Amino acid sequence: MTSTVVLSTGLVVMLIGLWGVLAHRNILRIIISLSLIGTGTHILIVAIGYVRNGTAPIIDRALTVAEAPARAVDPVPSALVVTAIVIGLAVTAILLAYAIRLYESKKTLSIDAFRDSKW
Amino acid sequence: MVDALLHPLNIFIIGLGGAFLIPLLYRLGRAAIAAGVVLALAAMTLLSGVALWRLSHGAAPIEILTGGARPPLAINLRLGLPEAIFAFGVNLFALLGVPYILREKYGTILLYLLIVMGIQGMVMTRDLFNLFVFLEIVSIATYGLLSLRDTPAALSATFKYLTATVLASSFFLLGTMLIYAVTGLLNIDDLIASRASIAGPIGFAGLIFVLACLLLELKPFPANGWGLDVYETARSDVAAMISGGVSAGVFFALLKLLPLFESQLTLIATLGAITFVCSNLIGLRQTRTQRLLGYSSIGQMALLTLAASLLHGPGAERMTLLVIGGLFVNHLFAKVGLFWLAGHVGEARLRDWPALAGRPGAIAVFGILIAAISGLPPFPGFFAKWQLVMTLASDGRLAWIAVILVGSLLEAAYMFRWFGRSVHGTAEAQTSAKGPVGLLPIWGMAILLVAGGCISGSLAGLASPWIVAPLAAGAALCLLWNLPARIQGIIALAIVLVGGLWLVRDLSGLNRLFAVILLAGGLVVSIGCLYRADPRPGFYPLLAVMLLSLPALPRTTTNLEFFFVWELITLSSYFLILLRREARPYALRYLLFSLVAAFFLLAGFAMMQALTGISSLAAFRAAGPDAAPVFILLAIGFLIKAGAVGVHVWLPGAYAEADDDVSALLSAVISKAAIFGLLVGTYVAIRSELGLDLARLLGWIGMLTTLVAAMLAVRQDDIKRMLAYSSMSQLGYIVAAIALMSHLGWVTALYLVANHLMVKGILFLAAAVIILRTGTRMLSGLGGLARPMPLTFAAAAIAIVAMSGLPPLAGFGGKWLLLSAMIEKGWYGPALMTLLATFVGLIYMARFMQTIFFGARGAATATAGEAPIAILVSQYLLIAGILIMSFFPILLIEPVSKAIDPQFASTLVWQGMSLELIYATWNPVPTMTFAVAVSILLLGLFLLMQRSGHVGMGARGTSFYEFSGSIFAALTPPLAIRFWGDVSAATASAAERARKLYTGNGQTYNLYVLYYVLVLYAFGGGVRLIWTGIP
Amino acid sequence: MMQRLPSAIAVLLLALIFATIAIGHAEQTVLRPLAESYVRLVPHELGAPNVITGILLTYRAFDTLGEVAVLFMVAAGVGLVLKEPGKAGARSASDSEAAQPASEIVRTAAQILVPLIAIFAAYIIMNGHISAGGGFQGGAVIASAVLLMLLADPSHKLNSVFLSVTESLAGVLFVLVGIAGLIFAGGFLDNRVLPLGQFGAFFSAGAIPLLSVLLGVKVGCELSVILDRFRA
Repeated sequence: MTSTVVLSTGLVVMLIGLWGVLAHRNILRIIISLSLIGTGTHILIVAIGYVRNGTAPIIDRALTVAEAPARAVDPVPSALVVTAIVIGLAVTAILLAYAIRLYESKKTLSIDAFRDSKW
Repeated sequence: MVDALLHPLNIFIIGLGGAFLIPLLYRLGRAAIAAGVVLALAAMTLLSGVALWRLSHGAAPIEILTGGARPPLAINLRLGLPEAIFAFGVNLFALLGVPYILREKYGTILLYLLIVMGIQGMVMTRDLFNLFVFLEIVSIATYGLLSLRDTPAALSATFKYLTATVLASSFFLLGTMLIYAVTGLLNIDDLIASRASIAGPIGFAGLIFVLACLLLELKPFPANGWGLDVYETARSDVAAMISGGVSAGVFFALLKLLPLFESQLTLIATLGAITFVCSNLIGLRQTRTQRLLGYSSIGQMALLTLAASLLHGPGAERMTLLVIGGLFVNHLFAKVGLFWLAGHVGEARLRDWPALAGRPGAIAVFGILIAAISGLPPFPGFFAKWQLVMTLASDGRLAWIAVILVGSLLEAAYMFRWFGRSVHGTAEAQTSAKGPVGLLPIWGMAILLVAGGCISGSLAGLASPWIVAPLAAGAALCLLWNLPARIQGIIALAIVLVGGLWLVRDLSGLNRLFAVILLAGGLVVSIGCLYRADPRPGFYPLLAVMLLSLPALPRTTTNLEFFFVWELITLSSYFLILLRREARPYALRYLLFSLVAAFFLLAGFAMMQALTGISSLAAFRAAGPDAAPVFILLAIGFLIKAGAVGVHVWLPGAYAEADDDVSALLSAVISKAAIFGLLVGTYVAIRSELGLDLARLLGWIGMLTTLVAAMLAVRQDDIKRMLAYSSMSQLGYIVAAIALMSHLGWVTALYLVANHLMVKGILFLAAAVIILRTGTRMLSGLGGLARPMPLTFAAAAIAIVAMSGLPPLAGFGGKWLLLSAMIEKGWYGPALMTLLATFVGLIYMARFMQTIFFGARGAATATAGEAPIAILVSQYLLIAGILIMSFFPILLIEPVSKAIDPQFASTLVWQGMSLELIYATWNPVPTMTFAVAVSILLLGLFLLMQRSGHVGMGARGTSFYEFSGSIFAALTPPLAIRFWGDVSAATASAAERARKLYTGNGQTYNLYVLYYVLVLYAFGGGVRLIWTGIP
Repeated sequence: MMQRLPSAIAVLLLALIFATIAIGHAEQTVLRPLAESYVRLVPHELGAPNVITGILLTYRAFDTLGEVAVLFMVAAGVGLVLKEPGKAGARSASDSEAAQPASEIVRTAAQILVPLIAIFAAYIIMNGHISAGGGFQGGAVIASAVLLMLLADPSHKLNSVFLSVTESLAGVLFVLVGIAGLIFAGGFLDNRVLPLGQFGAFFSAGAIPLLSVLLGVKVGCELSVILDRFRA
């Protein structure tokens, strides 16, 4: 149940991001929306890894080696999400860098101004 | 140890380690960076090359393990043969392209190295999430490299590209995780093995999202505006990297995941087909260089997608490898070369490309790249398309073949139009291109294409060395480019003579006959080419290719060989026509109609092979009655090339506007290739029930062509156009003769072939002389040339008589035979048309002789002198041929008859009526002697009268021709021209409408991307899933 | 504006697809087989109590290497995108704005917090194999310290040569450790080139702590470089 709520949250965040990408004209808002899509995906990944009543897959006093397979949550999505987050950050950085250059080139951040090539 | 060093894992160690080292090398200086990156790329090339070598010699695919564990625990990669082809190709091109980035900041160099590594990661990895990581490495490197061009347009384009690809890769990540959610797996092999468990709404959505990302990254129509913008505005070497490298990685990812998408294969193929056709259609309207290349790139990737999804299936690995490998290598090297060339030339608009004129080296490499991208021989794309079409035909997927051929035609249209416009510059065209050194990497691509062509040719079964003899001769002659033209010409003729004799040596029957006629005719007419001493870059190499391809055509034994040589003839004659500036639009038309013809042949061959299962041309003789469609396809193809009425619109322009000696070759010699093809193809008709009715139709088409073309010839004022229509008319006779499908018909056909070859050779060369000496080619400006050029006059007179069908010369024999054959078969209608056409023919031939050689001297003829010796030699050799044929017809007819016998021995069409029987009613020698005497007498009388000014034919004659011309004009409305004009206008307007989709608004493009995903979901099975999921 | 409706429809349709996913989702009650083998194998074979770190730095270390490369490329890429010297007009305006000194509070807080943050980062990095944490997380924390420093003193010049050399060295060493795995252990990036040590001890789990440190240093440097580039 818990994970379904989290998963749905992730999906909704993604939808909000998608709507933002399509509806907002300001480049910075578009970039934020793209980030939101990424964040939504990350939430979803975590939800996918959840196992009912599971705990973090770290062996310590609370979780012995023997009981780990029964009580730990899936470590794979957790490992993947780290990579995904880093990549999301990287992409956002590049997007922001281009936003700066776009602003310099036309002194505006409206996407409508950047229709140079067509057909 | 050596094995450890050569292990492909080192590609990644070198790529990553090398990139991390670059900032350190930067402290040592630029030279260190340059050395480092070149070394790294060379090592990667070497590693992948060694692997490719081993794999192609049967080694097992190389597993690359990481993390000290086996999959699925740890990430593994695999280097099999397909992977090695892609990796080696990308490495090679990256290595050759390194000069473009060496002068950049070290950040650029580092990104370059990492993108090359990343592409190979995408190709080799067997882990879905790892694929995502490599996809991002490649994407981010691309984003960085795109900043090398920072005009406002480039920045906007990059931003559109960024948002769209970020959206796409978000879908990939989402899809990967959804698939993980239902399977708990990330290893691709495991996923494929448990494909069935990827079901339900989550699994299905995961699959579709992953598929959507890969397709989107390949820039499908219409969700590809962002990709086009980047192709247009990026620096050309970066655009080359996206088109060749990045797309290669993404495509390979799709290829290896294809087993997961087995339920969506048709959908993928359909989307690929839409993209292939639409992007090539829109390309027609494109005026900017790099955007044009973008459309072409997108089309090529779509073709790859289409081919991959159609060929997918058990047991198709080898075929997939041949087709996909060939298409990929072809696209990679040709497109990268073209992008680099675009950068080298530096002209953003196609109309500025005449800057290339006067640089034969650049034009040559441009021509190679254009021919390769259009799928013409001898490049890998040709063989790949051949294999693809053959395979599709054997599966009965004919509609797909049509789509592929239409798309290819559109692509060839804009590519060759671009090429044609570039080779002839205006005087004031300013060249902004750099020196020839910049061409080196581009030549590298061209050489790789040739090498790739050799390999894929031998894989496709084109093993015999003689098949490339024409190309080898052409290449050898290219090396002599700085010798004087005539010396080049003599060497070329010598090479052709030796090579041709070698090609002909062990042929027999009809093939030998045709080979000898084509070789001898080609050589003799080509002697005339020596009259020009001006340097004509590329002329003699192309001439040698063409002249050697002609006798090679009858030598071919398999359908692939035939098609290969056929396309060589097409291509070399196109380039020869294009040598004259004024011929530019006509050369394009020639090429396009030739390609359409070739595509019909291709389809015909493919169906034939699908029917009989044999690739040998002998299959035609074994074909059963169900081969009628094959006959129709082949006949259409050959009729287009023979200039049959309706599809003749390419002919007059090409024949009339080419260089004068090229016109002679086109009309006299090259046109006979189509006739040979028709003879080969009609075996099929003989065997099929339907065939005989079709043959009747063919006969009518032939005679209609003859009549219409003769009428059109009367109306021409331009000598060469008149001769062009005359050629068309004469070919009509030959077509009709072949259509008779009888022994006698075929003897006639061959007799007419030989006759027409000699006659048209003489007449076109005469036209060349007249144009040379008077500077005009309009009948209205000419007259009275009999006196200043008596030898030319005599030659032309003999040729006209021989053509007209008047006794005593060969044409009479030809007509006689034709009529006899038609009567024999009861074809009274065509026989009547023959007589009518002969009459119309007489009008234009008389006009030709009279206006040029008699009457008052025209304004332009004042200083005219006799013809150059080269042309006279050629003409009089041909005349000797005519005379021999006229007076000793048996010399030709005997071998012809013998050669034809085997083809008809087993049929009942020919009932043993011997030629002696026919000729018995007409003993030629006394008749001819008499006729010659009468003719000479009449001619003498005519000349005498003319000198004494008694003949007022000038005025009266002209009005007669005008009168008849106006009647014929009414009889021959320009229906064909109007029809084809409408077709091309409709195509252009469709293209114009389609490209309005690309509004330039990045947000709209994102919307397209989203809808693309939705469409994929809906048509991939999502509608059904949701529908059944509701209850 | 005209695009609003089609956009809304597209998002709604996608929402429909997402709804099928949410409805179809069933929470896991037991680990998937692959995940279970990780949970069993990482402590046992790699000697790392933190299963996630074990996966990240050994089994899927190839991904991690790729990820490092991504950050490395972004640092370079942002530098390339924002290079232009000729854009002085545009950039100088923002420069003068940014160059205003930060308030007293920020500066003082930074002086106190930066060392603490650095220590915390070191802890996260060094304990990645034992408890929650790891190179990425720690590197990000380092970068946050750098960010705070830059906020407090916008005119502060980072030693970019030092950063880039460190970053490169860390990357090269990471690859070298991987190669060591190839030569001395089971394969590329195998962590068992160093002794596994006692389970749960600070020096244990083979090369994982070493890789963690390299990763932390590298990520910290890269993120700092990126921050620095944006400031320029």
